[in-house]
Amino acid sequence: MRDLLTAYPPLVRSAALVAVTYRGRMILGVITGFFPLLTMAVWLTVVAEGGPPAGWTTGDFLSYYAAATLLWNLSGNHVVWRWDADMRSGDLSIRLLRPVHPFHQYATSDLGHRLVFLAMLVPTLTIAALLVPGLDYPADPVLLAAVAVALALAYALSLLMASTFALVGFWSTQTTNAWLLWWGLGSFASGWVAPLALMPDWLRTAAALLPFRTAMGFPVELLMGRLDPRQTVYGFAVGLGWLAVFALLYRITWRRGIRRYQAVAG
Amino acid sequence: MIEVRDLAKHFRVHRREPGLRAALRSLVRRDHHTARAVDQVSFTIPEGEVVGFLGPNGAGKTTTLKCLTGLLHPTTGTVRVLGHTPHHREPAFLRRVSLVMGQRNALFWDLPAADAFEVNRAIYGVAEAPYRSALDELVALLDLEPLLGKQVRVLSLGERMRCELAGALLHRPDVLFLDEPTLGLDVNGQAAVRAFLRDYNAQHGATILLTSHYMGDVTALARRVLVIDRGTLRFDGDLAALVEAHSPHRLVRVTLREAAPAHAWAGLGEVSTMDGAVVTLVVPRAETAAIAARLLTTLPVEDVAIEDPPVEDIIRAVFADA
Repeated sequence: MRDLLTAYPPLVRSAALVAVTYRGRMILGVITGFFPLLTMAVWLTVVAEGGPPAGWTTGDFLSYYAAATLLWNLSGNHVVWRWDADMRSGDLSIRLLRPVHPFHQYATSDLGHRLVFLAMLVPTLTIAALLVPGLDYPADPVLLAAVAVALALAYALSLLMASTFALVGFWSTQTTNAWLLWWGLGSFASGWVAPLALMPDWLRTAAALLPFRTAMGFPVELLMGRLDPRQTVYGFAVGLGWLAVFALLYRITWRRGIRRYQAVAG
Repeated sequence: MIEVRDLAKHFRVHRREPGLRAALRSLVRRDHHTARAVDQVSFTIPEGEVVGFLGPNGAGKTTTLKCLTGLLHPTTGTVRVLGHTPHHREPAFLRRVSLVMGQRNALFWDLPAADAFEVNRAIYGVAEAPYRSALDELVALLDLEPLLGKQVRVLSLGERMRCELAGALLHRPDVLFLDEPTLGLDVNGQAAVRAFLRDYNAQHGATILLTSHYMGDVTALARRVLVIDRGTLRFDGDLAALVEAHSPHRLVRVTLREAAPAHAWAGLGEVSTMDGAVVTLVVPRAETAAIAARLLTTLPVEDVAIEDPPVEDIIRAVFADA
């Protein structure tokens, strides 16, 4: 464990250095990082033309999607593509030869990139929160501390889910398609497509039990002060439960899958 | 140090004929066959030895190296390296070995080599002082100073290979596996890498297992060779013994003071090449000394050189015999 803690900072640092190496990629990364604001624009139009749905005001949508932008950039989904490319090309061999488990190498690589984009995004969102009317969050320190934990849980779960799916690559070449199917279905139950409060009852009930809300809707709803203590504890419990489930699934899949690795080429 | 017993690695390979019909048929019915990449291979390599691993393409060299480094799980058999079972991939094992693959980039492609080395230091848990000492030594031996600030992706192949070697050796591995380490390098680059590896073995007593299609790599570094073909070990022993066992002839290169007629060579062996006064004879190994003596007494000889045929030819003969 101590070795891992020693290896994490330089690995994250190296990934951050890679992230800032190419200006074009940085600019494109920042632009795509603001995609949730497009969804917000659609909802604001709906509110303007048809009135607030289910009591959600313009300010609510502003607050929701500004926070959703933060979560959009705090997702570990990207590791699926890295794993997949490395398994196909055989470059996973290079990672397997290092005395740090590949999971941590992909995680630190992703984290380094996330931190660079967040370093640009967070000040922008903070300024927007101060200047844009209607964009408002409760300033309760206990609540903000809980949000910080929920954000860490969101990132950890999305990373672990994506990494577990990536291991499908030991059996199939359809890893990324399988992940897109899972993520696409999950986007309805996470709060990406629309806030869960606006979804049908049956979907809200299902979403409360599924892992997707932990990675998006739960931290946003918490930050907006829409959850009471019981709902907050329940949200954390579901998230931690899924984290444990995916940790176990990852472990089992890795042990079985690595035996099948063919280390192609070279 | 390295113990391999009855190692076998088989792959299940999907096979289909070319063409649209075969492609459509394979959607519903898959044909597979088992490829025996390595079969019943056994050998032992003691600490500090340099061993050349020879074989044609697809012989099983790289697959064996991948089993020895833990990348592949053996189908059957046992492998022990430094007392560890490689495919368990314990960090304590991985910190003591290195695999350099001439066709792969193990450094961080987008970072300067110096940054990549620093990451390796952290990954391998090398303390600052030994890291500095190792880095200084490698920079000097491999002439890396002008390369340290360059992105790895902009380096030439030869420059990159020197950096790859440095990156692989910063943690001072006890066992070094080299898979085509001089692939694509020019003559100077090959010589530099060979000299470096010889020094590294001499200074640190590292065990080295080397595969290469350049016989020069093997003859320069290894006294012992393993020859593998179609997954089976064909020879394990001294390179000199391999030459003796598979080459019953030697080459006698004679330089005369003036050219001699063709009949003058009758009974002295088979004339391989004749270039004016310089003639190369192929003679039975056991008769080499006697023929050389007869040459000196019967012809106006200026110089005589006796040598073995090129090792490439001998290896080819080994595979042909197999």
